[in-house]
Amino acid sequence: MLKHLYDTDCVTWSPQGKLFQVEYAMEAVKQGSICLGLKSNENVVLCSLKRQPSELAGYQEKQFKIDDHMAIAIAGLTADARVLCKYMRTECLEYKYTYESHHPVGRLVFKVAEKSQHKTQSGAKRPYGVGLLVAGIDPNGVHLFETCPSGNYYEYKCQAIGSRSQAARTYFESWFHLFEKSTLEQLILHGLSALKKAIMEDEELNEKNVEVGILGKNQKFIHLNAQELKEYIQKLETFNANTQIQQE
Amino acid sequence: MIFNSEISGQQEHTTSPVVTGGSVIALVYNGGVLVGTDTLCSYGSMATFKNVQKIAQISKNTIYVSSGEFSDFQQVVRELAKIDRSALQYDDGVHPSPKDYGNYLARLSYKKRCKINPLYLQNVIAGFDNDKYLALVDIYGTYLESKFITTGFASYFCKAIISNYWNENCSLDQAKQVIRECFKVLFCRDCRAHDVIQLAYVDAQGTHIEEPERVETKWDFNGFKYRANEKLHTQ
Repeated sequence: MLKHLYDTDCVTWSPQGKLFQVEYAMEAVKQGSICLGLKSNENVVLCSLKRQPSELAGYQEKQFKIDDHMAIAIAGLTADARVLCKYMRTECLEYKYTYESHHPVGRLVFKVAEKSQHKTQSGAKRPYGVGLLVAGIDPNGVHLFETCPSGNYYEYKCQAIGSRSQAARTYFESWFHLFEKSTLEQLILHGLSALKKAIMEDEELNEKNVEVGILGKNQKFIHLNAQELKEYIQKLETFNANTQIQQE
Repeated sequence: MIFNSEISGQQEHTTSPVVTGGSVIALVYNGGVLVGTDTLCSYGSMATFKNVQKIAQISKNTIYVSSGEFSDFQQVVRELAKIDRSALQYDDGVHPSPKDYGNYLARLSYKKRCKINPLYLQNVIAGFDNDKYLALVDIYGTYLESKFITTGFASYFCKAIISNYWNENCSLDQAKQVIRECFKVLFCRDCRAHDVIQLAYVDAQGTHIEEPERVETKWDFNGFKYRANEKLHTQ
């Protein structure tokens, strides 16, 4: 396929009906380190693997609180993610100022998707190079959404994006039927198990390179601290996915 | 006077109302929220429009009433309906709750007050969304949630009646009787009140706006009939 003939900008279609610039933007998401989310009837959990650019550097955070009832995990260009994060936070603040209540989750994701789509229909713009996993709670229930550079958004029971996310998705396919009734602790352990499937052989999960955020109907968004992360990663050793309990 | 602004080039703002609605009384009862208002719009001291419905249902579980400039009331109804309609475009089935309307109206009123061009209204939003909701938004944009609300002259005449005969766990019929009693007193003492009132209530089943009814008043006192106290002063 003579891709290079049709991939210069967003305003050129290929003969196969593809917008290559948008597809290339989705590739940028696949290059980011993995982040995943899963939800039960009461809670949503976001887990991500943080990258360390060098020995001297800190770990790049991948989860951001948007409001008490909403948070995102990012994969892709962090700078683009910051722009969307700021937009979402501003929208939530304005909604709270006007209505004194939380911004409905689906609606905000719709707005982000609209913004993203705008960038795919102009000669002078490029799409956002970041995919978001949006976790949120509103009167409609517990939500997990994924947004794409293309401007599409989907609601999920559980999803993983970023590099080697297929391994995590395979884990989810086997066990997602249990998630609805899982407790928060079981959900976190499932998330970390899925994350473990997606790391390289010589890597290991530790409290420095893992980020876990939790959100619940009665739980504002918080990150697990280093101590809690350590305990959960230890519990992983004996966690049986099928029975969802610790066993020796 | 009306065209002053054209001559001076400056924008003039509404500082006095023209067509006004009377008092509003709203009470919480054990199953929901009850609101009562009369059906009169006055043109100054003239009782011009005597059969006006001043209770607006703005969503399945919210009603809005106000006293003050009636054209502002109509405008607010349009503004609030706009919110619900624009919610449809998101396709997510989420509708504003009564509290959302109350706060939106408070923000709107405050904004207009800051420009010295207020919505000349005392607004009452009543609703039922898992729990009873009743709030007052006044002309300045002050937002107050409460178990009972009175606007206009009712604030002066009716608070005593409400204190003595109402509590928040009373039945719907008891609350209706209290409001009817209040409007009886208002008709006697408030020059801009009318004896035809309309009640509406919101409960778990939704909104119910009743037909207008005439409050019972008694005019056949001896003193009235025979004017025993009025003696013609001759000589």
